Amino acid sequence: MAVLEQLLANLLYGVILGGVYGLATMGLSLIFGVLRIVNVGHGAFVMVGAFIAYWMFILYGVAPVISIPIALLLGLIIGAIIYFAVIRRLIDAPELSTLLATFAIGLFIEELAKQIWGSDYVGYSWNIGSITLPITEVPLTKLLALLSSIIIAIIVYLWFQKTKLGAAVRAVVEDREGAMVCGINVNRIFMISFALGIGLTVLSGVLVTLFVPVGINVYMGGEYTLKAFVIAVLGGLASPWGAFYAGFIFGLLENGSYTLLGLIPGVEPFGLTRFVSFAVLLIILLVKPTGLLGGE
Amino acid sequence: MANYKPAIPLMIIYAILIAIGFTIPGMWQPIIFVIFYIAIGQALNIFLGLTGYVNFGYVALLGIGAYGMAVALGYYSTAIGIAAILLGFTLAVIFSVILSLAVGGVALRLRGAYFAIATIGVNEGLKHFIEGAKIWGGSEGIVLSGLLRKTFGVEFTNYLSTFVADVILIAIAIFAGLITLYILNNKIGYALIALREDEDAAKVMGINVTKYKMIAFVISSIIAALIGASSWTLKMTYVFPSDVFAINYTVEAIVIVMLGGAGTLLGPIIGGLIYGVLKYYLSVILPGFQLLILAPLLIIIVVAFPEGIVGYIKRKLRRTAIFEYIM
Repeated sequence: MAVLEQLLANLLYGVILGGVYGLATMGLSLIFGVLRIVNVGHGAFVMVGAFIAYWMFILYGVAPVISIPIALLLGLIIGAIIYFAVIRRLIDAPELSTLLATFAIGLFIEELAKQIWGSDYVGYSWNIGSITLPITEVPLTKLLALLSSIIIAIIVYLWFQKTKLGAAVRAVVEDREGAMVCGINVNRIFMISFALGIGLTVLSGVLVTLFVPVGINVYMGGEYTLKAFVIAVLGGLASPWGAFYAGFIFGLLENGSYTLLGLIPGVEPFGLTRFVSFAVLLIILLVKPTGLLGGE
Repeated sequence: MANYKPAIPLMIIYAILIAIGFTIPGMWQPIIFVIFYIAIGQALNIFLGLTGYVNFGYVALLGIGAYGMAVALGYYSTAIGIAAILLGFTLAVIFSVILSLAVGGVALRLRGAYFAIATIGVNEGLKHFIEGAKIWGGSEGIVLSGLLRKTFGVEFTNYLSTFVADVILIAIAIFAGLITLYILNNKIGYALIALREDEDAAKVMGINVTKYKMIAFVISSIIAALIGASSWTLKMTYVFPSDVFAINYTVEAIVIVMLGGAGTLLGPIIGGLIYGVLKYYLSVILPGFQLLILAPLLIIIVVAFPEGIVGYIKRKLRRTAIFEYIM
């Protein structure tokens, strides 16, 4: 019974964490959907967000919830700078160029961050109480993270569906040339989408810190790049909404397999869980590369 | 239209390097250091350069080769003696073929972006698998120096790691160059270049694109695994999962290929030479400079200089007598 209870508790955590995973992947899918560029340096931007939350909390005592808009703003600025410095020149370049460029940008951000924050693991603890359920206790900070993810996803959704700019972005996703013919300034849409994609990713880094109390490190991003790829492919790669839903699936999968792997004697479940996410990625690519949730 | 003349500059460069290493005292190790970078560039070039696909998990192939050798020496050298080295290279090849068939079989059927996504987790995935499942010594790795000294004697162990491993590396590097030349002059190379330029058009022309991508991937993987087996395990006499799956080597190999000229025969050699020499002398002055300098360098090459040094020279020398010798 204890195992079942533990499994249920972990699955609940999986759902909560899944919301943040979903949000952390929306930026990746948005950039791929609009610009057809895979941001291989994705995880580095999650890391930047995590450090923003850490610094705001440690230096100024600002609650992570307040750091969300700050991270979004900084992310938009970083995204716009990268777009004008590098991405703009590679819009029509072969895939090889954009893959290598985004990869190098991610590395560069990590190394810059290392100069600023060093390579030690840091963390902070923000405690606002918890609610007790029959199977487990859920800290309010984690629920708040889930709630924020959902609200932000809804805001992005409404922006896409209800505003003129959102409609223009959707038009470019659907047909780049067609949108151009209709008088949409495609380059402007590229810039906005890239900046927004990076902004959302940096923002999600703030929420990630609520789940990794002492896991903030300049190289933490690699893990999130891999997770985001699994989630994005699950959700159909080009669809931010697919990515958001797929985040929940991945959260369940990850925490479920962690519990089950822990039952096998002699193995280290933490490392193996990370291997499982890689294996899942290969399986999805093998079975249904267009994503389980429709998508492209 | 086969043109094997570029083998001449290829062999001249290697001959000069080997001559410097043998004749000038103290230069053997620096030369081997440079040849290591040339070799990892050449192995990656066969896949990245010829197909235009990026393998972000490249280091995993070097690492799995290193493990092939470590497993053979660690678990069988007491039983079969010196033949364990042969077994080590065999295991390195077998492991790399299995890994490349598994990853390639899944992801090479798809377009470049999906392949890149599939490969980005290979090295971390393997590292976590070895550490998590605690196979092959788990996170403690395989340390061979004591065992090798006991089995082969101190003198022979030193000879193995300071000379034999280096000679094998040189042989692999030269072999990698020649096989690149062969591919470029062969149906495989024509098919690869056609699909690199336009995969849909190549498919319409009846080229089995997945097959040729797979061939290039497996060849590139085998050479990488052989380099890992000789230059890491045999030379260093230890293997740690956190070392042999470190992403730095992937980045270095990509920079070497792109700097020299992707898809050219001489590109990785020029790129490896420049990179190896710079790194050897700069790492003393600027320790830890690597990624902080490499990352922006790679961005600059990709944005402003995508053809690389050899690609540029080749374009400049068109319709001259030297042109035939550059590939």
